[in-house]
Amino acid sequence: MKKAVTIFILIISFLIIYFLQANFFSWFTIAGVKPNIFIIFILFISLYSGMKPGIIFGILCGLFLDIIIGKSLGISAIMLGIIGAIGGYFDKNFSKESKLTIILMVIGSTCVFEIGSYILQTIQLSIYVEIMPFTIKLLIEIFYNIFITIIIYPILQALGYRIEDIFKENKVLTRYF
Amino acid sequence: MNRAKRTSRIGIIITIIILMIIVAVSNIKVNNVTFVESGLGVLVMPIQNGLTYFKNWIFGNDDFFTNVNNLQEENKHLKEKNSELEQSLRELEIIKSENTTLKEYVNLKEKYSQYETIPGYVINKDISNYSDTIIINLGSKDGIAVNMPVISNEGLVGHVISVTDTTSKVQTIVDTASTISCTITTSRDTLIARGTLEGDSILKATYIPTEATILESDKVETSGLGGIYPKGIYIGTIKKVVNTKNITDRYAMIQTAVDFKKLDTILVITK
Repeated sequence: MKKAVTIFILIISFLIIYFLQANFFSWFTIAGVKPNIFIIFILFISLYSGMKPGIIFGILCGLFLDIIIGKSLGISAIMLGIIGAIGGYFDKNFSKESKLTIILMVIGSTCVFEIGSYILQTIQLSIYVEIMPFTIKLLIEIFYNIFITIIIYPILQALGYRIEDIFKENKVLTRYF
Repeated sequence: MNRAKRTSRIGIIITIIILMIIVAVSNIKVNNVTFVESGLGVLVMPIQNGLTYFKNWIFGNDDFFTNVNNLQEENKHLKEKNSELEQSLRELEIIKSENTTLKEYVNLKEKYSQYETIPGYVINKDISNYSDTIIINLGSKDGIAVNMPVISNEGLVGHVISVTDTTSKVQTIVDTASTISCTITTSRDTLIARGTLEGDSILKATYIPTEATILESDKVETSGLGGIYPKGIYIGTIKKVVNTKNITDRYAMIQTAVDFKKLDTILVITK
């Protein structure tokens, strides 16, 4: 029951993030570049709930985005799934308590997501590769994502502990003893 | 613990303020400095006012004090009138914006009268920085099908890539995966224009014939090749021609006629 409620809350927050990204951030930009909050969202889910739920949630959210606005089915799904896996890996090997490690994780996953999506798009849609403009946009996006992570960190952490309690009932204890 | 919480809260507030400043500054045009003027005005004007008041007082400007009562009454009267006027102005503005939207529809219809078209508007824009697709409020129920070209009052917008009952996804011409065959209106030379990451309303024109003479501000329109876009739809103007050592490699930047940031109303060509 608790699990169902949490999943419902996660779906609602995903929709809120979608509308924020599509409306608010389409004009609240840094030099015309939008942030990508989906990466932060999926990273946090897998950091607190583990690799498996992270990957599943990442793939589902990615599919939703591909169907709604994407040019080809699967790119966002694969890449958000990978972010879910990366989040699970970070969870096992690094501490989530320090803001600095979280920021480094956001930098890493933003790079992986955007570079991976760009490569897949280049292969699938025969896009003309433009390294310089892409790098500049990516750097601004990373910068913007860091800002947003710092701002919403307390909310994410509170939500994260809740998710952790529900998804990893037994595992949490073994870690501290 | 409390102290740590407080510092983190202050940190968040500072981050929000910095973010807002960066967003504001990064989106301001260089020649637009009125905000500096008004900022300085806020600093200087109260002091200036005080000094003027002081000067008048010293030089015995008596009327100033005797007239205060009359002025206050007049001020009240004027304020009431002002609010009435503001109200009517607001109403007028609403009517004006309605009028421009309707005019746009009519203009659009007349301009491309040789095609059968359906008017619609943009309901969603892309969430990613690296692609430019839009969603419009027309679907298969309105007779929209895949590969139909989409235009606006200014020029070419893109083509439909997928359709649901009530909405359609449109790949704009500035999307990095978009390629259009186009011609220069004066010299009839053909080019291939691709979407680029370099700007919101910029296309990169390549495969320029070696004997072609391209000049800045030449107009570019669709050539009709490729099977999606009909011939003669206006795309934009040449912004810059970049010459390379090898003349076959030279390319040009096209400024699209449509401002994709402000794109609102569109027409889908059905026939």
